[in-house]
Amino acid sequence: MMTMRNLLLLAVALALLVIVPPFLGLGWQNMLVNVLIASLFALAFNLLIGQAGLLSFGHAAYFGVGAFAALHLMRAIEGGLPFPTPLVPLAGAAAGLLIGLIAGYFATMRSGVYFALVTLAIAELFHSLAPQLEGVFGGESGISSMRMPWNGIVFGSMLEVYYLTLAWVLVCGLALWAYTRTPFGRLTLALRDNEQRVRFLGYSAHTAKVIIFTVSAMLTAVAGSLQAISIETANYSLFASNVSAQVVLQTFVGGSTVFFGPVIGATAFTLFSFLVSDLTRSWVFYQGLIFVLVMLYVPTGIGGVIQHHIHNRRQLDWRNMAGHYVLAFVGALLLTAGVVFLTETVAVLFGEDYAMVRHNAEGGLPPFELFGASWNPTGLLTWLLPIVLLIGGGALLIRARRRISTIWDRKGPSNATATEPLLAGGAK
Amino acid sequence: MTATPTTQTALRLAAITMSFGPIEVIKGVNLDIRAGERHAVIGPNGAGKSTLFNLISGMFAPTSGEIFLNGNSIAGLSPHLINRAGLARSFQITNIFHRMSVFENLRIGVLARHGVRYGLFRPVAGMRQVNEETAEVLARVGLESRGHDLAGDLTYSEQRALEIGMTLTTGAEVILLDEPTAGMSREETEKAIELIRTVTEGKTLLMVEHDMGVVFSLCDRVSVLVYGDIIATDTPERISANRAVQEAYLGEEAAS
Amino acid sequence: MEFAIISTLNGVTYGLLLFMVSAGLTLIFGMMGVLNFAHASFYMMGAYVAYAVSSVFGFWVGILVAPIVVGLAGMAVERFLLPRVHAHGHAHELLLTFGLALIIEELIKIFFGDFPVNYQMPAELRFSAFEVFGATYPFYRLFIGAVAVVMFAALWVLLTRTRTGIVVRAAERLPAMAEALGHNIPIVFMFVFGTGAALAGLAGAVAGAFYPTNPNMALELGVIVFVVVVVGGLGSLKGSLLASLMIGLFSSFAVGLDWSLANLLGVVGLGDWARSVGGLLTLELSSISATIPFALMLIVLLVRPAGLMGERN
Repeated sequence: MMTMRNLLLLAVALALLVIVPPFLGLGWQNMLVNVLIASLFALAFNLLIGQAGLLSFGHAAYFGVGAFAALHLMRAIEGGLPFPTPLVPLAGAAAGLLIGLIAGYFATMRSGVYFALVTLAIAELFHSLAPQLEGVFGGESGISSMRMPWNGIVFGSMLEVYYLTLAWVLVCGLALWAYTRTPFGRLTLALRDNEQRVRFLGYSAHTAKVIIFTVSAMLTAVAGSLQAISIETANYSLFASNVSAQVVLQTFVGGSTVFFGPVIGATAFTLFSFLVSDLTRSWVFYQGLIFVLVMLYVPTGIGGVIQHHIHNRRQLDWRNMAGHYVLAFVGALLLTAGVVFLTETVAVLFGEDYAMVRHNAEGGLPPFELFGASWNPTGLLTWLLPIVLLIGGGALLIRARRRISTIWDRKGPSNATATEPLLAGGAK
Repeated sequence: MTATPTTQTALRLAAITMSFGPIEVIKGVNLDIRAGERHAVIGPNGAGKSTLFNLISGMFAPTSGEIFLNGNSIAGLSPHLINRAGLARSFQITNIFHRMSVFENLRIGVLARHGVRYGLFRPVAGMRQVNEETAEVLARVGLESRGHDLAGDLTYSEQRALEIGMTLTTGAEVILLDEPTAGMSREETEKAIELIRTVTEGKTLLMVEHDMGVVFSLCDRVSVLVYGDIIATDTPERISANRAVQEAYLGEEAAS
Repeated sequence: MEFAIISTLNGVTYGLLLFMVSAGLTLIFGMMGVLNFAHASFYMMGAYVAYAVSSVFGFWVGILVAPIVVGLAGMAVERFLLPRVHAHGHAHELLLTFGLALIIEELIKIFFGDFPVNYQMPAELRFSAFEVFGATYPFYRLFIGAVAVVMFAALWVLLTRTRTGIVVRAAERLPAMAEALGHNIPIVFMFVFGTGAALAGLAGAVAGAFYPTNPNMALELGVIVFVVVVVGGLGSLKGSLLASLMIGLFSSFAVGLDWSLANLLGVVGLGDWARSVGGLLTLELSSISATIPFALMLIVLLVRPAGLMGERN
């Protein structure tokens, strides 16, 4: 249920999204556009895995299809077609609908691992064929276009693109949220829980899954076309497996069991890559590490943990727990510092630049610069520091976690409702 | 409620066979279920009772033979079409939507009956008729107080009641219940019998049951399935007096 | 003729290499139902470990150490990581291995750089085996094939002739029953996972010295290995062998052939029409050789998901 408080929160977030961007620099505006696109992509993807329980490993296919469809329409507009530029994502939606319907019809004939493999094969089909098809995908170099002005709006600035993207993402996000309230949205959840029973209640499971897949592909394609509008170009690398992988990562880290979870994941990953990708080349490694840790310890993701705490907020002894949460946070921080320090040290020592330095130093191990200080590769401190951080942080975290989980166990009966999946809490 | 002479046949199995590879599990079963009767299928383990249910409800297609529901052939149709034709079933192993509320478990079936199976353009909360009917079924199976709880959190016997409730929701006139009282205590079984009796009032019931007490207190007729073959169909009293049945299945328990 | 012979030889050796990697993947899936996305990463790990070790201790030590290290890594994954997510189902197991694949790839980039490393076969193996039509044929290709054949024979004997093998096969079919009979199934699973990883590691160590050793090799081989195990039938060792050879031969032949759908349609007199339509119809086989395996995989998944030799669906 949408309570007044949630509605208020949403309104505040919306107001911020509308008011703040004009005061931001170009880089940040661009980043926000990427956040919005990634959020819609993840939300659309999560319709399959989070609500219907179908794991797609090839959603890049529909993202790419949307991008190319949008670019073809934009080129037609450049050529004189009187079509309003803000509605270009409709081309993506149409293409996504069509391709999603065909792909979905076949993919949903299988379930489980086999479904994942079919979706993977379909994406690889696009990825390997696109560079060969000059007419549709522009060969290896892809196709480009320009945003044409419409009704006095020039679409020359990033801010205009941002507002266009925001409008589309909000509309699609709202549609997806409304979807969960419809009879079909409830059927989607039922399918995830028990497909067999659904069939014996008079529903064709295959028809239902094709519809779900198509909706997901269509909205994914809208996200793809928004990206095409934003960067005005696309090539076959949009179909690559790392695009499919990225959305899987974001969705699960954010939490696939909560509606807004994927948005959390998409925002966090896009924001972090914007902030740190210039600082470190190990960013993808950290992403992988975060993903694996989430899979191992918090399978409901960030969103799941937050939701779990909100649902139990009245039963919990917060005063008693706050201290332990602070300790846990400090422990996690120390642990992170240790991992980052170690990774970056290794990255420097094994990097090309350092190899040059060593070459110049005739095989010796000269000191290196990291985090604004100079470190000696053979120095005790260089290796002791991360080890102390790791052990200290780890010990702190484990201790705090144990305390927290005893407090959780002591709390009153859970007021879990049906919208909340019963999964291990953050402290379990 | 005993069948009157003019009653029609609700469900007819005609020379049904089913083979898994070289093994014939169902060997030419003929069976007429009259409209409005309560009919039990009993038989030793491995006799093929569950397979028979799976054939009728569309989980498998029979190797040969015909199945008629109200005169229409349904053999080999997929489960959802058989359900729409007016036949619903429960499962031996509880088969519910564990992560949805009890109310929603029931509403899925009610929605199917109202033909809004794939409705995408209206919030379900506003469908008054659907929600009222769901609440009604909820009350009929005695789970009013549990409507908002997760189905997975119910006790075993509550889940069994929900299971029965779900078979009622699609409005089918022919109900198949697969061992509805299996694993229940004496007291729970008594309640379940009462529940089944009231909710199947006016409908046709075919059930698989091990507990002879349940069969006696509930059913109009009984069929005995042994090694894929129906060896007798009659009233419970006459079945328990039938020598062949005693030898094949009931053994000393019934003779005493 | 020359093309046919060389292509056949190349295709068979490449196919055998594919088999070395796919054998473990299909065995693990058959037994535990885990589709291991990190399996090709074990292959890459093998190549890099062999490269690192061989640069200090020589080629043969590298070849020996790599499968051991990778096998131990595989055992650790099975023992310490998979059980944690097992309760959440196969999808989570798959996702975990997917994350591990990402981590392994990035770790390799951190340690060895995002470029090919100079992992070479030793001079004593760098000679031509024979000459065909004036061209020399490298001995090392035959060596790769021979290692695969020996490995397959060893695996076959292990699975069919030894007690352990029989337990493994029992555990594959009925894990609960095998466990009830007193066999330590968790150990069997760990052993199988480790062996599968070690085989992939060995394949990487051997092949890395011939094909380029770079951080992309896992991804490139990984998708093809998926094709192989699906086409062969998930869980079927024999099917994997057959499919490996098929895909190997296909890839080596396809690069040299300029057939297209337009040629085929030309047979029935529609050649000109096809050429005027263009697009898919005029693509030459050589340029879509990367596509065909995926099309094949898709067809198998949709028409016969059990694959060529698989029993289950």
